[in-house]
Amino acid sequence: MSKRNIVVLTDVALITCIIQKGCADTIVKAAQDGGAQGATVFYARGSGVRERLGVLGIAVEVEKEIINIVVATDQIDRIFEKIYLAGNLDTPGMGFMYVTPLEKAATYIPAEIADKLATEA
Amino acid sequence: MPIIKHIRFGAFVREITMHQEEISYNDLAPEIKQDQDGNDILYRPGKLKVRAIDVYRLVQPYFKVRLIDQLKAVLPLAIYLILFQLLILRQNVTDSWVITAGLMSVIFGLMFFIEGLKVGLMPFGETIGNILPSKARLATVLFIVFLLGIGVTFAEPAIGALKTAGAIVDVESAPYLYSLLNSWSEVLVLMVGMGVGLAAVLGTLRFIYGWSLKPLIYMSLIPTIGLTIYIMGDSELSKILGLAWDCGAVTTGPVTVPLVLSLGIGIATAAGKGRSSLSGFGIVTLASLFPIIAVQILAIFVSFAETPEMIISEAASISNLSSTLSWHETTPYVELLSGIRAIVPLVLFLMFILIYILKEKIKHPGTIAYGISLSVIGMIIFNVGLSYGLSKLGGQSGGLVPGAFTKIELISESPLYNFALGMTIALAFAWILGFGATLAEPALNALGMTVENLTNGAFRKKLLMHAVSFGVGCGIAIGIFKIIFSIPIAYIIIPGYLVAIVLTYFSTEEFVNIAWDSAGVTTGPVTVPLVLAMGLGFGEAVGAIEGFGILSMASIGPIISVMATGLWIQWKVNKRREREDELVESLEGVDS
Repeated sequence: MSKRNIVVLTDVALITCIIQKGCADTIVKAAQDGGAQGATVFYARGSGVRERLGVLGIAVEVEKEIINIVVATDQIDRIFEKIYLAGNLDTPGMGFMYVTPLEKAATYIPAEIADKLATEA
Repeated sequence: MPIIKHIRFGAFVREITMHQEEISYNDLAPEIKQDQDGNDILYRPGKLKVRAIDVYRLVQPYFKVRLIDQLKAVLPLAIYLILFQLLILRQNVTDSWVITAGLMSVIFGLMFFIEGLKVGLMPFGETIGNILPSKARLATVLFIVFLLGIGVTFAEPAIGALKTAGAIVDVESAPYLYSLLNSWSEVLVLMVGMGVGLAAVLGTLRFIYGWSLKPLIYMSLIPTIGLTIYIMGDSELSKILGLAWDCGAVTTGPVTVPLVLSLGIGIATAAGKGRSSLSGFGIVTLASLFPIIAVQILAIFVSFAETPEMIISEAASISNLSSTLSWHETTPYVELLSGIRAIVPLVLFLMFILIYILKEKIKHPGTIAYGISLSVIGMIIFNVGLSYGLSKLGGQSGGLVPGAFTKIELISESPLYNFALGMTIALAFAWILGFGATLAEPALNALGMTVENLTNGAFRKKLLMHAVSFGVGCGIAIGIFKIIFSIPIAYIIIPGYLVAIVLTYFSTEEFVNIAWDSAGVTTGPVTVPLVLAMGLGFGEAVGAIEGFGILSMASIGPIISVMATGLWIQWKVNKRREREDELVESLEGVDS
């Protein structure tokens, strides 16, 4: 077996955002405008605020979309804010988001960028 | 002497970006108290206090998304019809304010109705579908499915369009058609419902036993076409054929398809079968074929019970009597009553099954009540809009389009163009209307997605959508053509279905399922009334006896176009595979 070199990214964080079904596209767009590279969306069901809203709970979907976005630690605040505003998370029932520190991540990194960063360091 | 002030860069950045105030979640989390025995007192969160701005921000997107869905279905069609009338026919839209108000109420009515259906009725369907098979014997289950098929037909919004159409039919020239749509109209809907019920039963059995759809199609087409040929033999009776074939298209709308499907899939899953990639298909096909048989049988029955003379004299005496309409026949009340009559029996039936047969409690009664009232209100508003918006607009443009090629009373300078050009314009109008209306149908988008997944991307979503819309467009154009030259519908329908049978024989099971279902999917609650009214108006203007039959053309069109496209794709895939095989062989030859 040939030896392969793995480039590992450090200083990464995960932003997870849970919003109502159908809202993911706007949020992913906002996050990408803010510099996020990509996003993973999956479907789920959730409850909480919806039950406490009474009649208004009808306006809140039970089905949710969960967006996972991996960002650089320097980007956290900017993208966090972008998502908060795009998702109108200051409205009850709209959703929830949190940031998790990640130890390391790996993915495809263009060779020339990896080389450049390696020589700088 | 300038004063230099020093600011920390970090503070500056914090100032220009947003403030993030930090609160400890520990301060917010509720404290769990204990009672005297040391047990935890279960935490029950109280109601949230919501400010007015929160209510607005919650309700506004909820409302907007649903409104835009309906606007997308109605507006392009209405704009197309109005522009065509203004620019090509150079006629003003009469009663434009009434029509605008009518269209608005169609949009709002559909919005409320669909949302109410989702919140109020669908949970019933899902619960019953999941629980029923485990608590009742198969015979009972099938009987309930049958009754449900009848119930959903009454609740289908497009059914109202048939009754509206009945008022326009001239009793002298087509007595049986008049009789079916007026004095027998309730029985007509019941027969259609029984057709749908039977289709639901057969479709469910198909789920359970995994039958192929092909023999089912052949077997249901034999009586359908046989009866058509029998009815053709009677010159009076043959005028109902258009209506009978159109009924198939009317039934498969936004109530029937999801409710019957959720029940059928639930039963199939409980029986241990189903959830195969094709299990949602087939019911729609059968539900658009069986009502045709049912209506034809009813027509034959009526022809034995009444003679044309009896109907004409009866109609004359009724029209003498009905100069003063009683209160429940005037505008807001008749729509109100029909709205309640459409939804309430279905709801009572579903509740009865849930409570007395399944012995289940109704979950979230408040939400369910909200959903049901919303769907009743939506149905009422939609009915009003149906008579004053869609039917009126459709009838008006249908009545004016013939002015392009022939002399009609409404347009003094008609014919506007010479015969060949005018005819081309009229047919192009019909084709574009069918193509556009179908492409805008949200159900088609969903079908396209399913098909793309099912065929592993061989049948692209866009290709399917275009194939279906192309079929519908051609169907509607042929339908108009049929009315202009008063070609008996059987001359077009029978060869059409024969072609479909041949294509079915050669196609694979997947494509047969997709193609036959695509016909039912395309005829939604906006297209059906519009096309029906247009056909009737058109028929009246060119002096045809009846204007039915366009919808049935719009059903057979996509069946043929989709299956043909499917065969073409198959041929292409096979050819590519052959080429690859050859390539591999030749490479192997080099190797050795």
